[in-house]
Amino acid sequence: MKLTVNGVEHDVQAPQLASLLHVLREELDLTSPKAGCQQGGCGTCTVLVDGEPRRSCLLPLAAVEGAAITTVEGLGAADELSPMQAAFDEHYAAQCGFCTSGFLLAGTALLNGSPGATREEVLEALSGHVCRCTGYVKIVRAVEAALHGEVHPERVEASFEPEETEVLIPGSPA
Amino acid sequence: MKAVGARLPRYDGVAHVTGRTTYVDDVRIRGILWTKALRSPHHHAAITRLDASKAEALPGVHAVVTHEDVPKNVYGHLEALGIPADEPLLAENDVRYKGQPIAVVAAGDEDTAREAVELIEIEYEERPAFFDIRKALDPDWPQIHQWGPVYPHFGPHNHRRVRKGNVDRAFDEADVIVEGVYRPQAIEHCPLEPQTALAVPEADGRLTIYSCTQAMYFSMGVVAAHLEWPLNKLKFVGGTVGGGFGGKVDTATETICALLALKSKQPVKWRWTREEEFLASSTRAPWHMEIADALTNDGWILGRRMLTLHDSGAYARFSPYGVTKHAFHHTGAYTIPNVHFDGYVVFTNRVPTTAMRGFGVTSVSFAVETQMNRIAEVLDLDPLQIRLKNANRIGDTTANRITLKDPSTVPVVLAAADRIGYDLPAEYRSMTSDRRSGELLPEHLVAQLGVEETSGNGGGR
Repeated sequence: MKLTVNGVEHDVQAPQLASLLHVLREELDLTSPKAGCQQGGCGTCTVLVDGEPRRSCLLPLAAVEGAAITTVEGLGAADELSPMQAAFDEHYAAQCGFCTSGFLLAGTALLNGSPGATREEVLEALSGHVCRCTGYVKIVRAVEAALHGEVHPERVEASFEPEETEVLIPGSPA
Repeated sequence: MKAVGARLPRYDGVAHVTGRTTYVDDVRIRGILWTKALRSPHHHAAITRLDASKAEALPGVHAVVTHEDVPKNVYGHLEALGIPADEPLLAENDVRYKGQPIAVVAAGDEDTAREAVELIEIEYEERPAFFDIRKALDPDWPQIHQWGPVYPHFGPHNHRRVRKGNVDRAFDEADVIVEGVYRPQAIEHCPLEPQTALAVPEADGRLTIYSCTQAMYFSMGVVAAHLEWPLNKLKFVGGTVGGGFGGKVDTATETICALLALKSKQPVKWRWTREEEFLASSTRAPWHMEIADALTNDGWILGRRMLTLHDSGAYARFSPYGVTKHAFHHTGAYTIPNVHFDGYVVFTNRVPTTAMRGFGVTSVSFAVETQMNRIAEVLDLDPLQIRLKNANRIGDTTANRITLKDPSTVPVVLAAADRIGYDLPAEYRSMTSDRRSGELLPEHLVAQLGVEETSGNGGGR
């Protein structure tokens, strides 16, 4: 069967009922979608199917024949991050990184489909994606920054001039 | 100070957002075998028969490993401290928690491995299961663990003890006694990355093990101990963890992969399912804590009696260490001169418990801080003022006799009050961590100032 992933057409050998996740990871070696729960519950395996975020662990290969699949490998490379990738990096929206691919693709679909999304729509778009390092606030901030075009495509470089910081503990040496 | 206050990029940020971070499951080795485990369906049972020959004969199966294949099957996380081993890698004569691994299979694909597990012939004789740690010391509590109901190796004692001052006198002199019982329950760490390992046999006879462990050298030691190998025959690759939170300190998958790789002479991966994570991976422990405080009407804590029961699950693992940390923190951030603490590590038929974010201390902090609010309520005093009054100060000694040089209770409580716009009288607002004097050196705290001892907690390791 032919499968188009990130603009490249592949001949895949897996049986029709193999999950798209399995085919992407084990046959095509595209490892950004993760096997977090393999029950459709955590969002780590999310890919875009014709632009729509879908759980690849629940999709049989037969269901995506002829569709265009996008994984994080198909967004931007390290030196040309997409706006959503740059926003996640800039806003520290990835901690351990295992849930990041799913969140990035959900955010990317939102940015492409409803660039004027409200806070509620952002939360709705990200719901069902689990982050256990509890980075939700930063993830929401990153998605909103990308929606509002407030992203600086060049990577944040280390600044060795400490910013003026508020003294949190009275009498502390800081 | 180049980093504090500066805005630094994450060193792994670009790898994360481009999907290039290589977790264990993403390591590409050709021709790997996949692992599935036969796990106990019972909380507690004797194994009366185990025959894996049909599984071994299934086409596509390359190795089956049971307890008989493990050079040193029974291991203890505290063996280096002289504590005997207690936990089998693979169950031998009995199973003591639901989900306990008994046999493992490596096959060319997951479906075949699963099918092979179904073919393992096993019979059990079910035994009653016990979970309520409050009943552990009852005479009719059944034998679950070979050491009895509680871990017996705290030096000469079967519990962690802390004794300081004269707690009986404190309770005699108290105006009020406030009691509280606190019972935080188990929590599954639930990292998004399940437990995963990949073991690759190398041409020189060594094993390369890709691991999601939070504790590389520790896990290496565990694998070496089970294999009875020197460390230099193992190469561990890790450091990239898809969430751990303490749940990847215990060595869950590496040893099994190593054994299967050695037997099959092929690279073997074991990636747990989410169901296995919830069923068989260690959790934060349930705790039962009882506190009684001897108080004066104006809010001084003269003495504390505390009893802690820690649910270790079926085996000891790190629980004695967790209870020891717990014991050392049982007065919280406050100075109590007379204490009597007993902490027991109790065995039950639940999955073994382990570290999770502040091992042993989160539970006691929850209890102590809730108790402080309860004291304030009973005495009708301000909860922050009570905290500031009893706060650790320079020169105070803790329950386990450490003299404090730089305690932070006072500035932290004042900062918190400030942040929430909490009104405090001037004498509290101007408090510092300086050594006690004047009203803050009441008679019950006079004796402890200047005391410098470093031992005496009354237990071994």
